Amino acid sequence: MLKTLLDAFALISTWEVIIAMFAASVYGLVIGSLPGLSATMATALLVPVTFYLSPIAAVATIVAASSMAIFSGDIPGALLRIPGTPASAAYADEAYAMTRKGQAELALGAGVWFSAVGGIAGVLSLMILAPPLAEIALSFSTFEYFWLALLGLMCATLVARSSPVKAIAGMFIGLLVSCVGIENPGGVPRFTFGLTDLFGGIEPIPALVGVFAVAQVMRAMLTPEPPPLPRRKFGSIMAGQWRLTKLYHWQMTRGNIVGIIIGVLPGAGADMAAWVSYAMSKRFSKEPEKFGTGHVEGLVEAGASNNASIASGWVPSLLFGIPGDTIAAIAIGVLYMKGLNPGPTLFTEKASSMYAIYLMFIIANIMMIPLGIAMIRVAAYILLAPRSAIMPIIMLCCAVGSFAIGNNMFGVVTVAAFGMVGYVMEANGYPVAAMVLGIVMGTMVEQAFVTSLIKSDGSILPFFERPVAAILAAMAIGALLWPVMVWVWRKMKPAQTAAAASR
Amino acid sequence: MRLPDSVTGLFLVVLGAAAAYGGWILPPVPGQPVGPNVFPLVIGTGLALCGLAIVFGIGHSFEEEEELIPFEDGQAAPPPQSKLYGLRALLPPALLLFYVFAADRLGFIITAAIMVYVTSTALGAKWKLTLPLAALSPFAIHLIFGKLLRVPLPAGLLPTPW
Repeated sequence: MLKTLLDAFALISTWEVIIAMFAASVYGLVIGSLPGLSATMATALLVPVTFYLSPIAAVATIVAASSMAIFSGDIPGALLRIPGTPASAAYADEAYAMTRKGQAELALGAGVWFSAVGGIAGVLSLMILAPPLAEIALSFSTFEYFWLALLGLMCATLVARSSPVKAIAGMFIGLLVSCVGIENPGGVPRFTFGLTDLFGGIEPIPALVGVFAVAQVMRAMLTPEPPPLPRRKFGSIMAGQWRLTKLYHWQMTRGNIVGIIIGVLPGAGADMAAWVSYAMSKRFSKEPEKFGTGHVEGLVEAGASNNASIASGWVPSLLFGIPGDTIAAIAIGVLYMKGLNPGPTLFTEKASSMYAIYLMFIIANIMMIPLGIAMIRVAAYILLAPRSAIMPIIMLCCAVGSFAIGNNMFGVVTVAAFGMVGYVMEANGYPVAAMVLGIVMGTMVEQAFVTSLIKSDGSILPFFERPVAAILAAMAIGALLWPVMVWVWRKMKPAQTAAAASR
Repeated sequence: MRLPDSVTGLFLVVLGAAAAYGGWILPPVPGQPVGPNVFPLVIGTGLALCGLAIVFGIGHSFEEEEELIPFEDGQAAPPPQSKLYGLRALLPPALLLFYVFAADRLGFIITAAIMVYVTSTALGAKWKLTLPLAALSPFAIHLIFGKLLRVPLPAGLLPTPW
């Protein structure tokens, strides 16, 4: 234990890791603070760079950039009422109301402080949850993996703030994309249309870059530019945060716990955590009437929640290769590339690397406080950069980055195609996160499914025979039926209220 | 590009059916009942069913209309609406395809400069910004990716000084 910890320290105390982490933090803060550029996009564009780094440094950049970007989305949310990342959307109104009341420092300070606290709570959950789960996961057979993957996909469709049918359709599209190539049970070219470029299948990373970055540039083409940030002098940013921590320690803890749970659920990420926590905070508050008028309570809870989900999203990713959110989906791609294949054995064979990841999360969240304060102070200057200067650079990074993944032009074609797909899906209410999860998990789902079918000799029964498999199956099927139940309940409720009114 | 649900749903039905058929005609693995054909068959069927459900408007009540946050003082001018305006969204993928075809011939620097210039102009920047941006940013990106990260970017007509 102590030796592994020391090994982990040795792994991260190299110049490469330190510089990579610092640079990625600054990068994450800047991208996160620019409206329209999300944390997922920041991470996706980082991937080509991680190719050229050592495994630990590569993971370090992703950890640092994603944590920072989620916090930094609060900055334009509070100052402009335009969330920098979707994860800040839940409480942008509230933070902006505080700014108008002259409490911008308090709102932003709460953002930094409770983000950092939430992030550290998330890491603790990762450290505590992952090893015992790995023990259980060691005994999993393909049946359990199949149901687990299905449960993950179903959760992703459940939490999408859209029609569940469309979300499931999005998931199927993603799975279909993963069918392309010769990496299938028969080793035959499938859906390649005679194109040799498609034989290797569609790489998830260019697809992700397309869906999250190119589609965003496409949307920018049609939306008006956000207004520039008014320059202002800030007072002390951290003043009063300790008082808030003591006053709202229960809200903070609840936010952390909700964030951790939502992060662990596959497909649900920081934005969902923030929405749920903000709503919960309002529901259980002693003074719910103050919400929406510039009340810090919801900010505390939601800020603590969205950063907690970032770290806990790594739990299913590291254990099963099932991403906890879209950022973790990208991280999984990097882990595979770097020989840190996700799976329960990672915790026994590469324990020092795991400890290194925990440590990096903790360091990133501690670094967030000084870097975040600095970022708040210079944000007015960074937000001066017009969109017409940033988007072209993003385009170049998309082109070069996707080329760099396999050193062939087909990656660039993939990016362009998935930019279109992502744009059209988003515009028509099909959640792209569900598709992304389908792409990332497709090969794994198929392997588990086909191997299980071969083992069971075509019978359905073995899918439910083992106890863990049966529980997971029940959960997955429950998740599938949940929207139906909600729909029925909604149908019943107006009938009841109408009956009550007529009485 | 907001299409009616019936259009996207029908498209999914066709896509799902095509996928299922494509899976159906794949050669099976000799001596094994389950091969590469099963998964596309299942997915294709599922996709087609979802498409049908969408055509019939099932699950539509769950959708939340996108909330546009109104600006203070009503400063958000409605964007000029002409028929061609919507097509601007196609510019980014078109430019990426242009990169694919032109980069080997023109070289990275020239292709990238054209991409930056067009994107920036399309987003409404004046030449005072676009020209220096198009002239400098390709070199900066080349420095990072080509020099530091050793990505073999095509030299083409205009090789970089390093």
